[in-house]
Amino acid sequence: MEKINNLINKTDSRIKQSLISQDDDVWLNFLPVFSVLLGLLMSGLMMLFLGYNPLIVYSNMLNYAFRDIYNIADIFAKATPLILTGLAFGFAFRASLFNIGAQGQFYMGAVMAVACALKLGSFPSYLTLMICFIMSLTGGSLWAAFIGYVKARFNANEFLVSMMLTYVAIAIMNFLLGGLLKEAKGEYPQTDVIPRSGWLPSLIPHTRLHWGFVVALLIALLAYIILWRTSLGYKIRMVGYNRDAARYAGINVEKIFVIVFFISGAFAGIAGFTEVNGMQHMLIEGFNPMIGAEGIGIAILGNAHPLGIVLSALLFGALKVGGNLVVQTSRIPASIIGITEGFVILSVILSYFIRDKLIVLRNKKKLIVQEEHRL
Amino acid sequence: MTLHPILNTIMNNKADSIVLKNITKYFPGTIANDHIDLTLVSGEVLALFGENGAGKTTLMSILYGLYQPDEGEIFIKGERVKIRSPHDAMEYGIGMIHQHFTLVPVHTVVENIILGTEKAYLKHLDIKKKVKKIKEIGKRYGLEVDPYTIIQQLPVGIQQRVEILKALYRNAQILIMDEPTSVLTPQETEKLFNFIHDFKAKGHSVIFISHKLNEVMEIADRIVVLRDGKIVSNVLRQEASEGQLTHMMIGRDLVIPKTNSSIHPKSEMLKIKNLTIMGDKQNKAIDDLSFTVREGEIFGVTGVSGNGQEELAQALCGLRKVKNGQIALSDKDITNKDVLSIIHQGIGYIPADRHKEGLVLDMSIEENLFLKNHSNPMFLHYGFLNQNKIQENARNLMRDFEIKAASSKSRVMTLSGGNQQKVAVAREVNIGTKLLVAVQPTRGLDLGAVDYVHKTLLKEKKEGKAILLISTELSEIMTLSDRIGVMYRGRLLKIIQRKDAKVDEIGLLMAGITEGKRNGKN
Repeated sequence: MEKINNLINKTDSRIKQSLISQDDDVWLNFLPVFSVLLGLLMSGLMMLFLGYNPLIVYSNMLNYAFRDIYNIADIFAKATPLILTGLAFGFAFRASLFNIGAQGQFYMGAVMAVACALKLGSFPSYLTLMICFIMSLTGGSLWAAFIGYVKARFNANEFLVSMMLTYVAIAIMNFLLGGLLKEAKGEYPQTDVIPRSGWLPSLIPHTRLHWGFVVALLIALLAYIILWRTSLGYKIRMVGYNRDAARYAGINVEKIFVIVFFISGAFAGIAGFTEVNGMQHMLIEGFNPMIGAEGIGIAILGNAHPLGIVLSALLFGALKVGGNLVVQTSRIPASIIGITEGFVILSVILSYFIRDKLIVLRNKKKLIVQEEHRL
Repeated sequence: MTLHPILNTIMNNKADSIVLKNITKYFPGTIANDHIDLTLVSGEVLALFGENGAGKTTLMSILYGLYQPDEGEIFIKGERVKIRSPHDAMEYGIGMIHQHFTLVPVHTVVENIILGTEKAYLKHLDIKKKVKKIKEIGKRYGLEVDPYTIIQQLPVGIQQRVEILKALYRNAQILIMDEPTSVLTPQETEKLFNFIHDFKAKGHSVIFISHKLNEVMEIADRIVVLRDGKIVSNVLRQEASEGQLTHMMIGRDLVIPKTNSSIHPKSEMLKIKNLTIMGDKQNKAIDDLSFTVREGEIFGVTGVSGNGQEELAQALCGLRKVKNGQIALSDKDITNKDVLSIIHQGIGYIPADRHKEGLVLDMSIEENLFLKNHSNPMFLHYGFLNQNKIQENARNLMRDFEIKAASSKSRVMTLSGGNQQKVAVAREVNIGTKLLVAVQPTRGLDLGAVDYVHKTLLKEKKEGKAILLISTELSEIMTLSDRIGVMYRGRLLKIIQRKDAKVDEIGLLMAGITEGKRNGKN
């Protein structure tokens, strides 16, 4: 008995020591940076196979992306909707829920925004923008809340429901673009350009960067505050980490499902607002078709943390701006940008896997040390 | 522990079929198996007897290749072997019937039995041939099952039969059965025992894991008692007495601490009246149950697990609907109230599975200590968390309950098992101002931590709280409780004052044998 008690004390002190020595593993936090570099390296190899010098391609990319204020501003403009769809996935992910239907919620938000902007042309600008913002938010959030509801009510798989609802959203958007919202000329499946009063003012004159970027930053801040500063966010994270414990603590887990999807969908819907009112100023069939999927990658790259998501979205924005110009000015196929993005995400996912393995390995080592101590 | 002389003679006469030597297995914070030597002889039924957490299942999981031992060797028929997986174990003729079945519910009996035995991928699968073989085995051992029925349509007893057939189909000569009767009715149990006798008669052996005394005495040839990962007794059935085995299982003469034995007739805190609760299978898990717990009293509920304890606990914390009857806390009806309002009434709940139900391992200590206050206005400011209050709460509880950690921001995952349980206990004691429900509060803890939890419960009792202790560990119940209720099939067979309680009697009650019944039998 005494012997065992001694051992317990010893192991306790060992665990204490290892807690302190965890600081040695700070480098694990920089793993995403390493893996981004690894992703760039892998796509560099790909370029080699295609017969291009990756060093030249990358340096061109950098040069183009940061050539002038217009391009730099464009990075931020491109990042704006990606921040929001990234937040949409990341927020739900914090509750261990998978909202992979940000694309559909984005389209619903865009439809609402364009409809409001077209019909409210005579309103003062701030009022139009306010209404567009609220309506796009509502469109996205209600669309997503349905996913949460069927999950809560029927235990439907949110992964499948959110994915399939995207196709429904696309169909609805196409239907409206072919009828109610179709341009006056009636030629293409797209809307008219929205009146000037519905345009988000630009942030830097003579660039495409608009106030939507500030909106996206504020939303990211809001997501952070909800998750880590409010009682609601605490409940959401608890549901994400351990649903059983949440139930025992008196949390209505089903209600949390609906709330999380509502908020997550709102973020994606707002992306529709920033794209329609800030960037495109109209709605075209099938525009930005990859924004939802890229949001997932960005959320993973950013470890589902709002700050990480903002930084990853900026990285993707830079890749897009630089990449597009490289493609336009040389004979490199355009798909190389997508491939680079893919490799980056892939290596990030792998890095999380490796990190978990490393942690397990370290804990095992710790255990072995304990055992040796015992003998 | 020296071997019994008779055992030596047996071993000399018969071939050892399996020898475990010096088997040791560590789990973080505990030693599950501590240098165990065990021999299994062909043609015997060996019972592994012990309390929950004594290391029975771990030892058998090692033999079946589910775990790798940290030390020690396994010999089969004199040859040293390494069992890396259940597949290896089957090669050596070892089959295991798990407590929770490993069948595919939507597949047929034959599909389940042959699953994993077919090596060819593209060859035609001759189901008829397999069915014939299964029927043959079934006939030989009296285990007839229709091979084309879908598993989920079969009653539990027959599903177990399919599990056994699965092992026999793989030519198992040694069957490990982990608490096989826990899910069976008495009639089904009898059939199972008939099978075990048959199986033994054919020269095969069975390792029977159980913590039910009466069954062990009925079926085993030899009984090995495990306690805290060590073998404490190895006796032949003829030589064993029920009282002695129970003693061995618990391990010490129970020292009953001095208490102010005259319980003041304090007010009744928890009143349960004619409670009926349905289980998951629409059976009556709790059947017309009534009892009370007074202020300043520990009421212990003991019994073999699966007799309704879990359902009772869930109903008390609002997670399971009550069908009939009433639960009242200091004269306030809390029947079928939601979890949160029950928490706010002042009921603390220490769950059996702290990792699953009591803690969020990925969150910090302070967040875990705050877990049940998420809607408490004291900690909130317009929906925002009051970090100062949360930290202050954590600091106080960590000091009062001696939670050892680098800081209150450390993730609970990084704590030792004992400190993790302290976090859960601290929180629940803090919330449970009137009643504490503790379900298996010391499961899987090391001795120091067990002692700590026990002391805490006694202290809270002294301060006038009502405590309902639900545990399958008799030693715990005997040391702590003022009154003891023995639960069997959703009823309390008897409520005993501790000073009148005898271990033997409780052991028999746990098996459903009341005084009258026993006398009638003899």
